[in-house]
Amino acid sequence: MFVLPPPPRYPAGGYAPGTGPLIETSNTLSHPTGPEYQLVVGEGTYKLRDCLHLSTPPPHPSEAPVHNPNPLATTISPPTAGTRLSPVIITPGLHSNPQFYGANTTNSTRSHIPPSIQESPHENHSQASDGASHSANGVTQSSLNEAHTPTFGEWNPLLATVNGKDTKDTKDAKDASKRRKPKSNIVKSNSTFVSRVIPSDSLSKRLQEHDPSGLFVFANVNRALQWLDFSAEKKDENLTKILFTKAHALCHDVNSITKGPHHIDVIMGFSTGDIIWYEPMSQKYARINKNSAINSSPVSDIKWLPNSENLFLAAHMDGSLVVYDKEKEDAMFVAEDQSMEQLLSEKGQQVSLTVKKSVNSKNQKTNPVAYWKVSNSKINAFAISPDGRHLAVVSEDGSFRIIDYLKEQLLHQFTSYYGGMICVCWSPDGRYVVTGGQDDLVSIWSLEESMLVARCQGHNSWVTAVAFDPWRCDERNYRIGSVGEDCRLLLWDFSVGMLHRPRAASVRHQRGSITSATMKAQRSRTDGSTGRLRSNSNLTMTSDEEDEIVHPVEPRARTPMLPPVMAKLVDEHPLCWLGFEEGCIITSCSNGHIRTWDRPKEGSGSDEGASSTIST
Amino acid sequence: MSSFLSRFKSGAGPVSPASSNTPLKKDPNAPQPTPLEKLLANARPIRPDGSDKFFGFENFGSTCYANSIVQCLYYSVPFREHVINFPSRSPPEALQRPPSALPRLNTDVQGVPLTNGQTSALSPSKTRTSFQSPSQPLPKKPSIVPVGPINPPLTKPEDNKDSPEYKKKQAILNGPVLNMDYENAQAYGMSESLFTSLKDIFEAVIAHRSRIGVVSPNKFLEILRRENEMFRTPIHQDAHEFLNYLLNEVVENVEQFSKSRVTELEDGHATSHDNAMSTVLKSVAPDLTSSASNTGWVHELFEGTLTSETRCLTCENTSQRDEAFLDLSVDLEQHSSVTSCLRKFSEEEMLCERNKFHCDNCGGLQEAEKRMKIKRLPKILALHLKRFKYTEDLQRLQKLFHRVVYPYYLRLFNTTDDAEDPDRLYELYAVVVHIGGGPYHGHYVSIIKTKDHGWLLFDDEMVEPVDKAFVRNFFGGENVLACAYILFYQETTFEAMQKEQEAEELAAEKKASETEQDTATVSGKQNGFANGHVVAPTPLHVPDSSEQFASLDHYPTAPPLSDQHPLSNTVASPMFPKLSPKKSTIQLNFRKDKEKKAEEKERKAQEKEAERQAKQQRKEEAEARRENFKKQQDDLRAALEASKATAEVEERRRRKEESTSQPQTDRNEASKENEKEKENGQPTKSALSRFRHTSLSIRGKPKFWGKDKDANGDVPSTPTVDSLPPMTLSPGPKEEKGEKETGKGKKYSFSLGRKKSTVLS
Repeated sequence: MFVLPPPPRYPAGGYAPGTGPLIETSNTLSHPTGPEYQLVVGEGTYKLRDCLHLSTPPPHPSEAPVHNPNPLATTISPPTAGTRLSPVIITPGLHSNPQFYGANTTNSTRSHIPPSIQESPHENHSQASDGASHSANGVTQSSLNEAHTPTFGEWNPLLATVNGKDTKDTKDAKDASKRRKPKSNIVKSNSTFVSRVIPSDSLSKRLQEHDPSGLFVFANVNRALQWLDFSAEKKDENLTKILFTKAHALCHDVNSITKGPHHIDVIMGFSTGDIIWYEPMSQKYARINKNSAINSSPVSDIKWLPNSENLFLAAHMDGSLVVYDKEKEDAMFVAEDQSMEQLLSEKGQQVSLTVKKSVNSKNQKTNPVAYWKVSNSKINAFAISPDGRHLAVVSEDGSFRIIDYLKEQLLHQFTSYYGGMICVCWSPDGRYVVTGGQDDLVSIWSLEESMLVARCQGHNSWVTAVAFDPWRCDERNYRIGSVGEDCRLLLWDFSVGMLHRPRAASVRHQRGSITSATMKAQRSRTDGSTGRLRSNSNLTMTSDEEDEIVHPVEPRARTPMLPPVMAKLVDEHPLCWLGFEEGCIITSCSNGHIRTWDRPKEGSGSDEGASSTIST
Repeated sequence: MSSFLSRFKSGAGPVSPASSNTPLKKDPNAPQPTPLEKLLANARPIRPDGSDKFFGFENFGSTCYANSIVQCLYYSVPFREHVINFPSRSPPEALQRPPSALPRLNTDVQGVPLTNGQTSALSPSKTRTSFQSPSQPLPKKPSIVPVGPINPPLTKPEDNKDSPEYKKKQAILNGPVLNMDYENAQAYGMSESLFTSLKDIFEAVIAHRSRIGVVSPNKFLEILRRENEMFRTPIHQDAHEFLNYLLNEVVENVEQFSKSRVTELEDGHATSHDNAMSTVLKSVAPDLTSSASNTGWVHELFEGTLTSETRCLTCENTSQRDEAFLDLSVDLEQHSSVTSCLRKFSEEEMLCERNKFHCDNCGGLQEAEKRMKIKRLPKILALHLKRFKYTEDLQRLQKLFHRVVYPYYLRLFNTTDDAEDPDRLYELYAVVVHIGGGPYHGHYVSIIKTKDHGWLLFDDEMVEPVDKAFVRNFFGGENVLACAYILFYQETTFEAMQKEQEAEELAAEKKASETEQDTATVSGKQNGFANGHVVAPTPLHVPDSSEQFASLDHYPTAPPLSDQHPLSNTVASPMFPKLSPKKSTIQLNFRKDKEKKAEEKERKAQEKEAERQAKQQRKEEAEARRENFKKQQDDLRAALEASKATAEVEERRRRKEESTSQPQTDRNEASKENEKEKENGQPTKSALSRFRHTSLSIRGKPKFWGKDKDANGDVPSTPTVDSLPPMTLSPGPKEEKGEKETGKGKKYSFSLGRKKSTVLS
């Protein structure tokens, strides 16, 4: 009955997580070819252009590699993120703007029929100097004239003075030298936050050679952030590489208003909660939320506010959304505005957005500009609507919220089928929001009807990034791409007509179109028919459509399921970012591989492509 | 400053006896409160349902498979309740109690008597003790091998205080150890079985005064080994097999009991029982009809129904077959999710070529389409991730390290159209983790969500609170030896999920603000506020608070945020309760700086004094403890020797008595090779017959049926497989990978009964 105890359970070694190289190595570029590096879709074949592997930097000397042989060690490791990209084109070319460009005149999501594809490209030049429409999400960001879209905070005189100045600056934008740069030089910095900066030897020469319509990319890997020129011959040679001491940049964004040949405003959010405003051309930087002055939790997502030179929004992992001004100093934050906005749903459940500091606050000398507590659970991502009025926020608790951030109001709250939500993006016309999450689903939500319109099933694991392909969207048809932990890239086509068709007859519940009214009738019917206490595990909180804020989970039987038009294993590692460019699709993985997939060669003219989408 | 703040902090709830009565600081020999003790320091009184008992399980050498599973079952609330209440709730007095093995360590868990008469959270509450049977005075030495290597290597792993070995040793040392070497089967009116011994364990844990401790499941393992030779050998066993065996055994025991009870009843209690027995019977009798009819509770909890639909492609006739399952075994793919693994098995499968389907309608072997869907969802969904796979090349099982992610909440996509509540929401509440490079060795632990105290790690004797995110460390992947092996999901509701998430978030926020407070104190110190006083980051190390703030100590049911109230009340400026406390404390600090300094000094003096005294006391105690431990160790070793000698004899005798025809196995030093062969090769028949309920192997790739572990080692599925239509046994169609990838769209749309054109137009 008695035996010797088992052999030691935790043999030393073999566990060391990510024992990377101990010396700094350079990026590698490879060009694999073959059928497994092609994506076959209706419009043609996407081919892998190249695969860039960003080298993972060795651990900082002060951060001795933690060698805990116990796989059950309960130490909490700081959050990390796979490689994400912030692409930027300084001066987009003639045809570089997606067809959906016209959408920017849409005021809100309703009732406006966007111009068709053919009409759209003409608008491009007018604002070319301004550098239009480019966001990390691949969603066209409206570079509108201020008359159409309100700029956040412009109605507050305290902010408006600043913004007014901005506006003037914007008008002088051609003279980019006037742009304000951050204060400190990052190369000469003796901050303990920044470990080392490795600029390219021929940085200025390479910048001169850079095609203005070429693609710059900022990409994070481990504790490094690299600035890459994707249009250059040697795209693997970084323009600048910044190594931080121990903080990992989890997210970053480029300001599309201020970008120019001599100026790029990059904002980065870190695992330590710090935020850095970085201007790569002059190698200057400024640190915001230093030592967690305003919020101590890591930054999971960060974006510049539309039409703003200075303001950006950061999502902290404690569930806060904070608007910062890149120019302002930090001040110890004390929640000041306690007029908690409480919106009660019918069951009396509290649904609110807690405004801890309103943009209308009198105190606008220091950061933060505004501070909202969305929930207590971790915010995984957010996206700003193309018209610059709404925020879509997804959280780890599976909630998905639409917030009118100009009015600081929560408009809608939806819930995933199950599990946390990981990523979110807007359709280029702002009518639909697409989310991805731990239910392996890509979910399409309609803003007009404020409901779930379809679930896209096809991923074999969690969906980590979703994006619309604005070059393949028109007013009725949409192309969505998604990547996930399953290392696969999936493409989906959905059209407005299709969505409103009744579900196939196989569904038990036979009804007409999927509208809220029928839904509701349906709902009560199911509840009654099953007659079990548990039958409510999906449906709760039925309330009137009009002032409904919290929306229940839709049962599977009533929601259309959409299959992908393409699914392909595109990497060996879980993917974490996806972007659509004019000529390519870019994917990146948790391990630092960035793969560029060229769009089909023939018929690159967008019209043909679009028509093929429809006819498929 | 730090202590000033921490006083507020600790003043909000009952303070653990450790911190309130003993200055622990600076005494390296003093037993630091374990993380679990810290967690439980503010706990409310013990509930009688056993939901807040946290007992480790002693490892008798590779018995971690049993420990991890039993822990999971214990925290499966409905299961535990049924076990306790079947056949009826026994009056506690009627049951034999485990002798408190180490009374010395038991009574004063912290090694310090309770001075001020506070009811400590960790020691008995008075209501509980009232019906405790007095514990037997003579401490029985557990006749077991303490965990961890006894023979001291040069550097003992247990010397490291952070090592699990050390913690486990401490857990046993601290006790109380419930030595489960007795049985109460008679009191239950049942014959001795795995069920009764499991019930014994549950009863003992619930009835014990202490909230923490270690269970020594001697009898349970004894019966297990007696009943099933598969588990008799001391080698590493498969936790899933054990789970399945245990569940089936419980079903059998329970049913057998009620059958015999019914016949007994019919006999009109004519059977002659001894007095004790008949009294029990009387108490049992009223419930009898209900309990007898309610023997199906294991089924009710764990059982679901699978429907396999086969459509003959020749005559278009669809045949259906229902099967019950107690758990689902899913095949794994690299970089997938549990959702996808579950969906995969419901994917249509072509039965063709050598794998044709015998159609009753048109007669003969035909090509057919087959798919398996869940018709009835179980209340508790036990998901077995098939990490141990037979590889032809190596002729043995290999562990798959695939990264398989699992969400905290789950719904199943693969239900039939007529399934009841197809959108049922499940929550993850327990994970059994296998640590090791292969199937033949390694270690099992379980991570379990408890009612009030979040997620806990149960590693044999050790119980430790862990972060919720810790649960996600076991997805698997390259170089990750610790992977989730069995996932337990239980049904829940959307409301419950929301409620729990809110509570979790609040707790997280509270925790965050506490750490913020800590950082605030630290930074305060750096700024020269605190007069050189060393700040201990954990509030429990600050010793003084309870005496001075005793009045604040009793808020066991205070809302989570309440500890902030004193602060916001003090501060004059209009503060909002939701305010981040860090800021307020800092304001406070400025205001009360001077006061505080004075107070601080005074307090420090007191503290030092107390410390000095306690140190002395501690030292003596520690000395005594060490002595004792040594002695114990020696005793253990002696006992071990003795029992080794007798074990064989006893075992043989018992087996004769049992007159079971089980073949004698070589239990002792069976060579690993032999064991391996046995495991993949030919499972013994006696073991086979014990299984009745399938743990279905979902899409057990048919070509592996012959050798796959789930067909062999995992015995239960075999009978079912035999009775299935022949097609299940022949190899499935080999789909072309590329085709499969790109053709996904078609496939899905087809399976959903939608036409592609509908989608795209």
